[in-house]
Amino acid sequence: MTASSPRTAAGPDRPGRLNPLTLLAAAGSTAVITTAAGSWPLSLTVLAASLGLSAAGGTARRVVAAAAAILVPLSLSLVMLHGLFFPEGTTVLAEWGPGRVTAEGLGFAGRRILQLGAVVLALLVFSFSVSVPDLVAALSARGVQGRFAFVLASTLTLLPAISARARRIRQAQESRGLVVTRGLLSRVAAFRLQAVPLVLSLVEDAGTRSAALEARGLSNAGPRTSYREVPDSRLQRTARAVLVLVAAAALVLRLVQAGASA
Amino acid sequence: MDAGKAVRANRPVLAAGIRSFTFHDDETTALRDVTVSFAAGSFTAILGASGSGKSTLGRLLAAWLPPGGHGALAGFLELSGSRLEFDGGPSDPRIDPAQWGRHVGFVPQDPATVLSTVRSTVAEELAFGLENSGMERAAMKAAVGRTAALLGLHDQLEQDPARLSGGQLRRLAIGCAIITGPPVLVMDEPFASLDAAGADGLAAVVRDLLARGTAVVILSQAIDPLLLEAGTWVVLSGGTVTGSGPPAAMGTGSGVLPPAIRRPAPVPAPVAVSRPGVPQTGIPALQLRGVDFAYPAGPGARRRLRKAGPTGEPGGPPLVLRGADLAVHPGEIVAVTGPNGAGKSTLLRHFNGLLRPTAGSVLVRGADISGAPVGRTAASVGLLFQQPRDQLFERSALREVSFGLARLVGPALAAQRATAALASVGLADAAQEHPAELPASAQRLLALATVLARKPAVLALDEPTVALDGDGLALLDATVRLAAAEGAAVVLVTHDLGYARSVAHRTVALDGGRLVPA
Repeated sequence: MTASSPRTAAGPDRPGRLNPLTLLAAAGSTAVITTAAGSWPLSLTVLAASLGLSAAGGTARRVVAAAAAILVPLSLSLVMLHGLFFPEGTTVLAEWGPGRVTAEGLGFAGRRILQLGAVVLALLVFSFSVSVPDLVAALSARGVQGRFAFVLASTLTLLPAISARARRIRQAQESRGLVVTRGLLSRVAAFRLQAVPLVLSLVEDAGTRSAALEARGLSNAGPRTSYREVPDSRLQRTARAVLVLVAAAALVLRLVQAGASA
Repeated sequence: MDAGKAVRANRPVLAAGIRSFTFHDDETTALRDVTVSFAAGSFTAILGASGSGKSTLGRLLAAWLPPGGHGALAGFLELSGSRLEFDGGPSDPRIDPAQWGRHVGFVPQDPATVLSTVRSTVAEELAFGLENSGMERAAMKAAVGRTAALLGLHDQLEQDPARLSGGQLRRLAIGCAIITGPPVLVMDEPFASLDAAGADGLAAVVRDLLARGTAVVILSQAIDPLLLEAGTWVVLSGGTVTGSGPPAAMGTGSGVLPPAIRRPAPVPAPVAVSRPGVPQTGIPALQLRGVDFAYPAGPGARRRLRKAGPTGEPGGPPLVLRGADLAVHPGEIVAVTGPNGAGKSTLLRHFNGLLRPTAGSVLVRGADISGAPVGRTAASVGLLFQQPRDQLFERSALREVSFGLARLVGPALAAQRATAALASVGLADAAQEHPAELPASAQRLLALATVLARKPAVLALDEPTVALDGDGLALLDATVRLAAAEGAAVVLVTHDLGYARSVAHRTVALDGGRLVPA
């Protein structure tokens, strides 16, 4: 995650925004290098940098919430597993029956958590800051099939689309006397009423929309162009190549080390 | 019956001879003995009431309903001189919708179905078809600019298509159809939900296309003024052609036009004062006091704001409503007019709390609704949404009307009310039908029935006349007047000034976020 400020990716009109592939290369190589290196100072640095970037980009709250959802259960299981049952552990801190809490085990779990956290955060910062239209445009410009680019884009816009539709159905139902309060139970009960209409309307929508998409040439075999201009530069292209090479090198180095120590 | 007589001299760019067309899941024939042909630069209106088979014909002509896919066609389709014969069997030719779409542009009745949903701005949505044909960016930019100028969408180019108003959305759908320059343009009810300026704009677009040699086909259940300029009228009734010829030969006296086809209502002179008989004393059924409203600024809104300059508070999002005041008494019918995008639908959504004012208050029967959940206010306020598809979600018309009724009046009375409401809009026979499969006019009436069944104290109707044919309009008119006579306060939002003035006791205009007498 070198010079990638996510803030610049949010506004399409902003000058100096980065190509989404550069962001992808940065996030991907960061994840690979951190995993390959297995060094906790590096993990910690990446973690801090990712948090800093997401704070600067205004996505910190969503990134942290998503990261917590992924990392908290994972961290707990790592602490349980390695903290209690680490075979090489010698410094015993506490003992219950077959389980021994060892300093080495806790240290190992801590390093793993840091490493995982760094990878997850780097990827989350990317996915929350990348502009989906830019990414799709960049991919189609590189000859990715229109249909595939469409599927990718719809996958990324699916959730907002579904929630918008669900909201419309809920508004229609509320306008006819469905009382939804802030309570969880009330919301669950309301969702039960919305689920069937939601699915049916999505299916029906897909049917009518497909005729429009076909008529507008979505399945055309020939080359296609992109209206949206995705910024790119020689510097970014070089940076992407370097990032990919460094990630590959880190991977090779790691494998060689593993082979040597085996 | 041959619609092409007037243009026989020219070779048609598109023609169809439909002996019969039947949907796979339906036993009755949707279309039979329909022969139409369209020459370059010709202007044809296909007129028919809701359910006459207009939309099916339009979708067949545009290959949005490819024969073999959803139904069996016996007959032929002819495009630029090459004829495809169908007999409904497995050996029928296959149509490539993309190839066909290059020659025949289509604007469906529901403009939202045109949107690709994966493009983030109106400009990109317009360019979608051009991208797929591999056009260079410079040429695309020029085409998008030209089309936007033609349709008056220039100010919306950077806007999210999902946030357009109903009328703007229709213009976008038309733009998506014409941007690739197809030799034939077929439009299904293009005037629905367009304000006067939008209808004039559309008329200019049609004239421009005709001058350039495009064959224009408009499917309509109303005789909009533009259609008087058509070379040929084709009348469709019960799935077959019952008359065709130049408009002059098919006037009111000829008996060719079914009564359900709407004619433009003359705009009566404005009524300056309230009609007698509506007491404006006591507690209003609905009252708005100095209501301000602004949509929260999203990333897109912030962009727009930068472009347009702030119109609300410094740095804040622009106000859609500013200090809106309104009082409607029981039995009173008030029409709210205003151009597309003025905030009319936004205003109505305040009546039951779907939207909450940023300042000011909304009172229903004298009580402030700010703390009440929408579902509770809904007992007193019935809201008809602009799009029936936003209102209908159930599996059958009867279930649709019955939703939430039992909670309101108890199960016994609910069944009675639901049946009565369906009957009042002429849908007693359609009780078990799926709402999505009803014709557009019937969908709108069903949505109206769901509101009427609740007998609310305040009836808020958003563009109720859109998509209604003549029969539907008569039903709407009767039910609205009846509801008011029974003591409901009715607020209807419409761009149809003629209807507004004919039914309402007074008309107010939404102008710059304020309600002013019109």
